[in-house]
Amino acid sequence: MKIIEIKNLHKIYNSDSVAVHAVNGIDVSFEEGEFTAIVGPSGSGKTTLLNIIGGLDDATEGSVEIEGIKINELSARKLTDFRMKNIGFVFQAYNLIPVLTAKENVEFIMHLQGRNKADREARTSELLKAVGLGEMMDRRPSKLSGGQQQRVAVARALASKPKFVLADEPTANLDSHSTENLLDIMEQLNKEEKITFIFSTHDQRVVNKARRVITIEDGKIISDISK
Amino acid sequence: MNTNIKLAWRNLWRNRRRTFIAISSIVFSVLLASWMRSMQEGSYDSMIENSVKFYSGYLQVQDTAFWNERTLDNSFSASNELKESISQIPDVTLVVNRIESFALAANHLKSKPAMVMGIEPEAEDQITKISQKVKKGSFLKTGDKGAILGEGLAKYLGLDVGDTLVMISQGYHGISASGLFVIKGLLSHPNQEFNNRMVYLDIEAARDFYSASGLSTSLVVMAHDHYEVKHIKKAIERVLPAGNRVMTWTEMQPDLEQLIESDRGSGKIMLGILYMVIAFGMFSVVLMMVKERSREFGVVHAVGMQKSKLSTIVFFETIFIGLIGCSVGVLISYLFCTYFYFHPIPMSGKMAEAYEQYGMEPFLYFSLKASLFYSQMILVFLLSVFISVFPMYNIQRLKITKAMRN
Repeated sequence: MKIIEIKNLHKIYNSDSVAVHAVNGIDVSFEEGEFTAIVGPSGSGKTTLLNIIGGLDDATEGSVEIEGIKINELSARKLTDFRMKNIGFVFQAYNLIPVLTAKENVEFIMHLQGRNKADREARTSELLKAVGLGEMMDRRPSKLSGGQQQRVAVARALASKPKFVLADEPTANLDSHSTENLLDIMEQLNKEEKITFIFSTHDQRVVNKARRVITIEDGKIISDISK
Repeated sequence: MNTNIKLAWRNLWRNRRRTFIAISSIVFSVLLASWMRSMQEGSYDSMIENSVKFYSGYLQVQDTAFWNERTLDNSFSASNELKESISQIPDVTLVVNRIESFALAANHLKSKPAMVMGIEPEAEDQITKISQKVKKGSFLKTGDKGAILGEGLAKYLGLDVGDTLVMISQGYHGISASGLFVIKGLLSHPNQEFNNRMVYLDIEAARDFYSASGLSTSLVVMAHDHYEVKHIKKAIERVLPAGNRVMTWTEMQPDLEQLIESDRGSGKIMLGILYMVIAFGMFSVVLMMVKERSREFGVVHAVGMQKSKLSTIVFFETIFIGLIGCSVGVLISYLFCTYFYFHPIPMSGKMAEAYEQYGMEPFLYFSLKASLFYSQMILVFLLSVFISVFPMYNIQRLKITKAMRN
């Protein structure tokens, strides 16, 4: 079942009066349960594409439909709400809230969703155990390694039971052991919870794990291979 | 709401040094503003107290015509019942009779116009501390028939303690008045006019001299301080017989009130400048806080936190800084000003001389009036609320991708 459908997507940045076509007419769709890597050189438009899919940036032209909802037509308030309920984000720099513990970081989105305490605690515990941090729930990000922080970020991304997770270069700051570990966790969650993962990456290890690889260059898809 | 408050509180302490600097700047601002206001109001209190104790008292009961035409014919009969009922009014500390008029003071060779004040010696001394100004001889006692002269007048007439002063005047309703008074003491009054013209008599001796038995020109009413004057005036008006009026020190000395008001105005301008400095200090801290965290703002908005909620958290942070700074500031200010309240700053040199010349003590006094402190607290707090508009505005304009690139 299609959960994301992108049609004729364009994103033009006007930097110093020179128009930069970051995304140049992309048409692509994603099925439920996919484990997809978007690859390409720096500046090819991977992050911009991910940002537009996640409703973090506006498209200049074209549409992004998520389960039939055109997100570029939603008001700012509804779009924020939509992101909270439907999309999980994993960022390159982890971006955890430094003043909250691992547990509180994961609970954070559930707080925003207004879920009850018991529900929150059960889900948090389940997720942190799933990413191997069951013993480190009460540590703040500054007391965790980069790999551990990124695992908390994955747990946070999954806390709201999103329809899909967008991960922008999630392994860029991790060593190889942490990368393997993180990818295994995400692959396992993908298989067990049927969560769709879409990565933008340079990392060959992520590409190797992905079941679909989309290559972008100059804002255009130049190949789309399902393994 | 709890989560917002919890997050705001924790955010406050993630950069302790910055928060400490922000809070310290508010503490010092409140301290400086409170100290300034306390010294200002303390000086006014002292000025008013010195002034009322110099002569007028906080309130005076008079015949309605006396203030405009200060003659004995406009004196009134201050009955014991009236005096008693005024004494019973809460916050009234003293009620004293006076009879004031003029006379020609003379010796066997010279004469000079003099101001004659008939007083209740012991009670009057509690108001004006007149006995402390007696430099030679002794002060009056109730029932004394003698007189106390200003040194200037005594010198002009060539009289000394033990000599006899001759006084001629017009008494109540035109009766001629003349009398001989043995000089009991000479006083040095800081006011030259008083020093050169004043003659103090016991009130009964003065009444006899002016044939004004049982009459007074004024009933001086004292209170703990000038803040009580308004309600005392209202209470006196309720017990006052027809033909009498009650005047406050502000009505009797409008120039003093104007002087204080104009000085208070210039003090407010200084305070305004100080508040601007405070506002810019707080604003720079808030600006740092917002710029430093724009990436974080972008992230939390990206994962689904509405801008309004994010604004609320930042608002709480600013409010917390304001509240902590103001509370600590007021506490320290109060302790600081309390010390100076009990240990006023002594003045020296020409300034001290000028103060003494006007019969005032040469000290910088401080006030502990509660409103001085909480008004600073409220103002600085409102300032922090106003400043919190900036980060909230910034958040409303937040672009996630731009914020996360920072």
